[in-house]
Amino acid sequence: MHRLKITFRVIAFTVFGLFLHYVLPQHDVVKITSTEIIRTDFSGFNRIFYAQADSGAVEQPTRDLRLINTDKKKTFLLGFMPRDKTEVMVYRNEDTGWIWPPYFKFDSSDLQAESASVARGDSWAVITHYGWRVRWASIYPNAIAVKLLDSPDVRVIPWFNIFFFGFLIVGIVFLRAMWMQFRERSIDPLIDSAEDRFDEASADIAEQKGRVTRWLGTWKKKS
Amino acid sequence: MGFVRLVVFGFVGLSILYLCISVYSRSVRREKLEKAWDEENVGSDDLAARNAYVEKGIAAYNNSFRPKLIGLVYVIPTVIVMVIVYTTNTN
Repeated sequence: MHRLKITFRVIAFTVFGLFLHYVLPQHDVVKITSTEIIRTDFSGFNRIFYAQADSGAVEQPTRDLRLINTDKKKTFLLGFMPRDKTEVMVYRNEDTGWIWPPYFKFDSSDLQAESASVARGDSWAVITHYGWRVRWASIYPNAIAVKLLDSPDVRVIPWFNIFFFGFLIVGIVFLRAMWMQFRERSIDPLIDSAEDRFDEASADIAEQKGRVTRWLGTWKKKS
Repeated sequence: MGFVRLVVFGFVGLSILYLCISVYSRSVRREKLEKAWDEENVGSDDLAARNAYVEKGIAAYNNSFRPKLIGLVYVIPTVIVMVIVYTTNTN
């Protein structure tokens, strides 16, 4: 039972961690090499890794997808340790719209124009993105913003993530306090009174049983 | 259409949060009042006086400014969404 509990916790924690890793913004130092548009036919499997059609447009089973091709600086430890090596990375550039994930991005075309303009030069840039690149399922991270850099050696401080995790911890502590208060004030008294009633009921039963056995006893032969 | 959905679901979700927080806050206040009374009247079992004291305290709390602060539950997320919309879509 204990082992089962630990396994369940580890799985839940991993899923939650992966979810946050997918949804929270990350920063890559890149050199944008080109921008392009490809037609995309989604499958049932990789559809959930794409956003919807441009905000205000109609959803079709097939549509064009804006891509940003880059050379990206490799990193260790989720981007906290920069390396000298580079690799290619392709980002999609889609509106997230009003719902999910809550980036409220409507300016994909502007971002594409910006990327194209950066691609003309030879300068480094920071791309803010969320999502994963999964080659075998044709899944791309979604670019949110592009910012020009003077040199590739920058340390981007993830302010949003710092505030997010701070807020998450505060929220969990608060929810816990709320639950404890609810249990102390509303559930425990109910259980107590239920226990009292149970005690009374079993006392009644014992008494009745006593009466019946006593009555039965009157029929027994007296020795 | 997406905007309408955001507003409707956001309003429902925040209303649930608002109700939970106001119930919690009142419950904490009530517990504090009960403990205060018990400390001042050790050994007394005058339940009527205790109830009167607690109800008076709760009424004072209801009329104070504090419970109105819980309305920030609606304001803060709206402001955050507006800030995110602005920062994401300017270049």
